[in-house]
Amino acid sequence: MFERRLYFHIDWALLAAVLLIVAIGLVMIYSTTYVTVGGVSRAGPQVKTQVYALVLGLMALAICMMVDYRMLAEHSLLLYFGLLGLLIYVLVKGSTQFGAQRWISLGAFNLQPSEFARIVLSLILAMYFGENRRGARNTGDLLVGGIFVAVPLLLIAKQPDLGTAATLVPVFLGVAYLAGLRMRLLGAIALIAVLVAPVAWQFALKDYQKSRIQTFIDPQQDPRGAGYQTIQARITVGSGGLTGKGFMEGTQGQYKFLPVAHNDFIFSVLAEEQGFLGVLVVLGLYLFVVLRSLEAARLAKDRLGVYLVGGIIAGFTFQVVYNVAMSVGLAPVKGITLPLMSYGGSSLIATLAAFGLILNVRMRQFTN
Amino acid sequence: MGNTGMMPDDRRNLTLRLSVLQGIIAAVFGVLAVGFWVFQIVQYEEFKDRADNNHLRRLALRAPRGVVLDRHGEVLISNRVTFNIALVREQVRDLDRTLRILSDATGVDEQEFRDRITRFSREPAYRPVVLIPNASDELRIAVSARALELPGVIAEEVPTRRYPTSALAAHIFGYVTEVREEQLARPEFTGIGPGAIVGQAGVEQAYNTLLMGVEGRREVVVNSIGREIEVLGTEKPIEGRSLQLTIDADVQRATEEMFQHLGYNGAAVILEPQSGEVLSLVSLPAYNPNLFATGIDRASWSALNTDTLRPLSNRALQGRYSPGSTFKIVVAVAALEEGVSTPERQIFCPGSATFFGRSFRCHKAGGHGSLDLRRALEQSCNVYFYTLGNMLGIDRIHKWADALGMADRTGIDLPNEVQSIMPSTAWKLRTRGERWYPGETISVAIGQGQVSTTPLSMAVMMMTLANGGTRHTPHLLKAIDEGRGFEPVPVPAPKSAVQMKASTMKAVGDGLWMAVHSGTARRAMLPGRDISGKTGTAQVISLGAAQAAKGKMDVRHHGWFVFFAPRDNPEIAGVIFAEHAGGSGFSLPIAKHAIETYFAKKEGLPLPVIEKPVTAPVVIADVAPATAPVAPPRSGGNP
Repeated sequence: MFERRLYFHIDWALLAAVLLIVAIGLVMIYSTTYVTVGGVSRAGPQVKTQVYALVLGLMALAICMMVDYRMLAEHSLLLYFGLLGLLIYVLVKGSTQFGAQRWISLGAFNLQPSEFARIVLSLILAMYFGENRRGARNTGDLLVGGIFVAVPLLLIAKQPDLGTAATLVPVFLGVAYLAGLRMRLLGAIALIAVLVAPVAWQFALKDYQKSRIQTFIDPQQDPRGAGYQTIQARITVGSGGLTGKGFMEGTQGQYKFLPVAHNDFIFSVLAEEQGFLGVLVVLGLYLFVVLRSLEAARLAKDRLGVYLVGGIIAGFTFQVVYNVAMSVGLAPVKGITLPLMSYGGSSLIATLAAFGLILNVRMRQFTN
Repeated sequence: MGNTGMMPDDRRNLTLRLSVLQGIIAAVFGVLAVGFWVFQIVQYEEFKDRADNNHLRRLALRAPRGVVLDRHGEVLISNRVTFNIALVREQVRDLDRTLRILSDATGVDEQEFRDRITRFSREPAYRPVVLIPNASDELRIAVSARALELPGVIAEEVPTRRYPTSALAAHIFGYVTEVREEQLARPEFTGIGPGAIVGQAGVEQAYNTLLMGVEGRREVVVNSIGREIEVLGTEKPIEGRSLQLTIDADVQRATEEMFQHLGYNGAAVILEPQSGEVLSLVSLPAYNPNLFATGIDRASWSALNTDTLRPLSNRALQGRYSPGSTFKIVVAVAALEEGVSTPERQIFCPGSATFFGRSFRCHKAGGHGSLDLRRALEQSCNVYFYTLGNMLGIDRIHKWADALGMADRTGIDLPNEVQSIMPSTAWKLRTRGERWYPGETISVAIGQGQVSTTPLSMAVMMMTLANGGTRHTPHLLKAIDEGRGFEPVPVPAPKSAVQMKASTMKAVGDGLWMAVHSGTARRAMLPGRDISGKTGTAQVISLGAAQAAKGKMDVRHHGWFVFFAPRDNPEIAGVIFAEHAGGSGFSLPIAKHAIETYFAKKEGLPLPVIEKPVTAPVVIADVAPATAPVAPPRSGGNP
């Protein structure tokens, strides 16, 4: 299955950048979760968990890179229904944490199936639009694609995990865009969204949801409550300055003024401890990974490969941009993690697997 | 899968779309980077401050107030360590519940806690609000027993004022309390926050700024739930300046003890005539300033305020009383200095005399016969001084009363001194809008009528007489320790100075010596000490009114004794004022005991002790009340 010559087409630069980001993430997780016993600092349990997830993630990456993506795409419908099964299972029997039912308990690990939804969705959408000569120019095709998205999206939203559910939308848009979605249609969707927004505000949103948006716009309204995280995120980032407070020297993250620092707000802690320079380095790495991946799409042998990379990267980029904006208090707080860096095993494994697919597409650009 | 291969057309289109996507994404990342630049570089200072405010706590450490010593180094006021039970609001989740439990455990009214919390509402939530100042051990144990139910309730160690001598000299020391809300706006309290301990009376108030010291601070790092993680630095509080007072604790004690032994309230002031230093200043009844230091409870506070004996009032400088016969000294000095009479002038006392058609009596029914100034002072003859007063007129009496310090505030370094009332024609026109009738002067000449003086100004009068005319400013502060040991403070400038004639001083001095050794003040005589002095009686109320008021109020007369000693080169001068003593009799043993203590201490002799309890008051009449028509009803006490 794995021809020797393919080895020479592995995009080592992309792989290195991805692993570098993971390494930086591990360092930041260490900084936010270490425990001090008798004056000696030791890694918290989260670092260990994340390292295990990294090992599993690298295995997933290797598998996803070696198995021909076209073969995977052929089985995408099977994978899709498997995913739906897991999501339903989670809703029925999943374990509950923080008031949401997201996980399947596997003993040592808690598996979060929703994290794998983006890959499966990318595969099935790439498959659907790739097999179809017309691309995404036909509204009917778009509708079918939309249904593919809607089912897992609703299941995930039901957990409830609106953040993760929302990340499925850019996957769809990414694939559709590359598949030739008419710009006029895209504009129409945007226009409808703008027109619907005030109506939705009036009728569809519940009061607590409105207050959440209001406190995001003006966090000082409720600095101890809903606005707290937004305010603290800005303080955390702003107080980092040019060079930062130093590794394990941040005050906002270390003293828990910023909640879930190792998870949703890991980028805030990076900005606090490593400063603007650290932010530029990591943002640069992410941008490199994204642009480099899109190069893989450009080089892809077939439309399937293009759409696959497009879907994965659209979801990935959306997550990165949203989380980074949230970490500086420029987006409402939602449970969207920073892929590759945030603490979270399922997320890391799924993301590494996704990059395995991207490497896979680039690697096989010359194969038949 | 051949059908998924790409046409060149598709490829071109795709390349374009990918390029657009790459451009958009790069732009979005650029915007994010600019966002971080704005927060981290442009607004860095602001966010740095806010982050510091999050985790840095600056806690004030109360500075011990300065120690106060007497002139010989005896500690009069010091500090001790007590515990306040306080509340850190940011650590309290359910305030109502916490206060209920705390009230339950301590028996203190919940509303009292709420009042305190309201007063501190503008302070940062991490600053402890004192709920129970100077909690007893029992309360502390009661609270710590329920510590688990009371998160955020702490016991903090604070230095607290300690007055080892209890109520001794309370009116000199004054007392301290937490600064009152309305005081915070005053200029002398700038830089002081709520909860600070400040002097509210006496030396504690007068020298508050010196005594307060400088608050220390402790800087700690806390986490988001307010737990201390690390102490960054401690700046120790700087103790207030130590003060040395002019007071002699033994003389002070002797004076107060004799008052208490005899069972009288009143006032006493003993001055050093060459400088105005206050050796003793008594006002009784007093209070225990330790009560205030530990946060006086409402009941005690209202008891002190409603007590008809007015223990919070410093009689020595806030009480005004009719000077009675002691005022004859002023008239004598005025007559001699103004040249209207001579010491040798003989005046016949038949027991009464008629001025302006009214009869004024002497206290000796049969009259003193013919006597000169010396004997008139010795016997306290009213007729002699009616005559001198009539010759002088009110304005010349006023002039000399002023020169001797009885018409002005003395300027002592204690707060809220009141001014003696010394009538004159101008004074009456100003205050009553009426002209002065010469007949009114007759009563004033024997210290009745409208003249009304504070005990302190009487002491100043005797001091000025003793030193020949220099009206020193009485003062309590002798030296300050600024960290280099006690350094004397400059003596305040005299309020005024006149040069009295030697003959005046000799004649008046003789008369006063004779009063103690062979006249009305014999009970003050101390062999070898040459005490010179003069008794006086202050009517509380006129005789007629006294009958009417009998049983409703204490109508017994106040007794005065003013003195200096020894006769030549006096070392001390002062006044004893025994409230409702019935007459001047009981002021005499108090003076005698105080003076004896002074000399004994000076010469290293054992201090005199009060021996046998005095049984029945022996009234030595020196002055019969003046005739009814001129003497208006008055209350001698300060309202």
